[in-house]
Amino acid sequence: MAKELVARDGSSKKKVLVTSVIFMGLSHMIWLKQYVKGAFFALIEILMLIFSPKIVTAIKNLITLGDPHPELPIKQRDNSLFMMIDGFIVLALIFVFVLIYIISVRSALKEYKSYCTNGRFESNKNVISNLADNAFPVVGLIPMIILVLFLVVVPLLFSAAVAFTDYSSPDHIAPNNTINWVGLENFKALFGGDATWTGAFGRVAVWTVVWAFFATLTCYAGGMVMAVIFNESKLKITPMFRSICILPYAVPTVVTMLVWQNLLNGSFGTINRTLIALGLMDSSTVIPWLSDPSFAKFTCILINLWAGFPYFMLLTMGTMTSINPDIFEAAKIDGANSVQTFFHITLPNIVYQTAPLIIMSFTHNINNFGAIFFLTGGNPKVADSTVTYAKGTDIIVTWIYNLTINMQKYNYAAVLAVCIFIVLAPFAIWNFKNTKSFKDGEM
Amino acid sequence: MAANNTEYSSKSYYEKANASYKSRKRFAQIIICVILTFVSLLVLYPLVYTVSAAFTPGNSVSALSIIPFGNGVTTDHFTKLFTQTNYLLWFRNTIIIAIGTSASTVIVCSLAAYIFSRFRFAFKKHMMMALLVLQIFPSFIGMVSIYVILMRIGGLDTLWGMILIYLAGNIPYNTWLVKSYMDSIPKSLDEAARIDGASNATTFFKIVLPQAKPIITFLAITSFTGPWMEFIFSKLILRSNEKMTLALGLYAFVSDKKNEFTDFCAGSILIAIPFIIFFIITQKMLVTSLGGAAVKE
Repeated sequence: MAKELVARDGSSKKKVLVTSVIFMGLSHMIWLKQYVKGAFFALIEILMLIFSPKIVTAIKNLITLGDPHPELPIKQRDNSLFMMIDGFIVLALIFVFVLIYIISVRSALKEYKSYCTNGRFESNKNVISNLADNAFPVVGLIPMIILVLFLVVVPLLFSAAVAFTDYSSPDHIAPNNTINWVGLENFKALFGGDATWTGAFGRVAVWTVVWAFFATLTCYAGGMVMAVIFNESKLKITPMFRSICILPYAVPTVVTMLVWQNLLNGSFGTINRTLIALGLMDSSTVIPWLSDPSFAKFTCILINLWAGFPYFMLLTMGTMTSINPDIFEAAKIDGANSVQTFFHITLPNIVYQTAPLIIMSFTHNINNFGAIFFLTGGNPKVADSTVTYAKGTDIIVTWIYNLTINMQKYNYAAVLAVCIFIVLAPFAIWNFKNTKSFKDGEM
Repeated sequence: MAANNTEYSSKSYYEKANASYKSRKRFAQIIICVILTFVSLLVLYPLVYTVSAAFTPGNSVSALSIIPFGNGVTTDHFTKLFTQTNYLLWFRNTIIIAIGTSASTVIVCSLAAYIFSRFRFAFKKHMMMALLVLQIFPSFIGMVSIYVILMRIGGLDTLWGMILIYLAGNIPYNTWLVKSYMDSIPKSLDEAARIDGASNATTFFKIVLPQAKPIITFLAITSFTGPWMEFIFSKLILRSNEKMTLALGLYAFVSDKKNEFTDFCAGSILIAIPFIIFFIITQKMLVTSLGGAAVKE
């Protein structure tokens, strides 16, 4: 029998570790006789080395973002935008490579440990026959990882990075001009440096939070009231009323919001004309549903209630049916009346079970682009709208959209995106810690 | 005698109480009926106007009668949709995108959810956490670089490019959703299958997927309806007339340049009607699955 290359008493751990760190998969092949696995790891590192000149260039470009060459035709100038995005794609690839490296080292140590206890290497034949099954989690996750990495993570990283550049119209738009790193300039401008922009930012930020709070609260309360009424109703035509009440949930938001926008129009909208015809108001004092900045905010919350209560109504109805009926029996025997039963049993149960969804709904409303954009389009205009493009009912996400599409102020839009992240990340983490699998310690 | 009297009066008291209880109950039902009628009218108000506008001659809102169907009835707008616009083409493009998104989301998310739910592997916790943080962002925040990346892979102005974007945007939240549901399916079932020699793929398709049918149905429906009226990415990615979707086509009716509200309404109700029928049929299922989602976490 040939002399074994590594000792069984665990003393060769350092040797295995160092070899596996020097070149991916090397220690699998030299010491652990895992040729297939080792070759696979080695292949990844070889690929990485082949492309390393390109990788270095991409990283260098990400740092410099190219040099201005006004003398060249536009097509030949350095395109900072592409350099940035390529840079982040390469960074993502390096990140994945490092993770695989860590996995390979861990795997080598694990194999060595199992050799120390079992006294034999897993034969290559076994490895191959197990490969199809072992590879299942890896192969299954690859499409998800690729998609999320390149169409979610890289775009978001890019957006975050733009917050630290001067990427904006008119002077710093690729490919005509280069984009440059400017550090915290944009943050300074929005948080106090530039009075107009700071004012607009403060206004929009406060309205976003107020909007999300009331939008969630009204829909939740409205939905619950309706659910309770439906629960109490003994009418024969209750199902018909219920079907009517879920209509706003069924019709796409874009459609209903655009219809409301037209119905609520100040001078020729159907609602004001109806009120005039009924003699409830004069044609000179029409209700400025969407044209007065403060009133338009109220209208937004009101119409959102119309569109949003069915979701919470269905949710509460679902929760109500899941409450154990024995509790109600017990309460009845103890002599509780229906009001007491509602406030002491039904309500606490519903609130307890729907609490996480209230939080989720709040974060959804912070990002509720459709409700604002299609109802008001952010209008009416206020004093600083011509400069900042932030209008009376714009929330942060609709402002980001305006800044990106209409003004090409990508840098300020990116700062706002970073703000959304800072505000919402704690909610996401809170949600994560409250999930069942986390609490059960499965992860 | 006195005892008799008391008995009599207590009986009458009971009857009285019962009568007042009954009348109170009837009164409560009347109040409920009034409230429900009122709310239903408020809910129906804009919808009735949408339908009435779709059948009203003329184009603008200002000419619309305040009484529904007060200007007479015409089907011109529907004829116009099918003869003078590319409505059917928009419809075809939208349905291709919706079906593609729905099918690919179900495949990718349920597979990833199964793996997250049943396997232990390196960096699992980090990946789950990353997905959770990523799902708080609306995808359009990264639209500039999504545009460039799609340009690189030749996905601009293509339907598959749209499917790819919607799919990627769906993954973070829905993987979590399906994973939470799969966690509640007893592991003993797939362990038994594995002992019988079933491979991972077989276990997934034959054991876990059938068990997870309710959440898969829910996922298929929500990811099918999502792209139906999505606007931002359609506008960014789809440039040519042959690739227009319903959202773009309909929005163009009421955008700043022209105000063809009645055409918009006609086009909208054609989409809304199947949605409404579907939602009314499935409302029982929606109640249980939404309620289930609340109870689960």
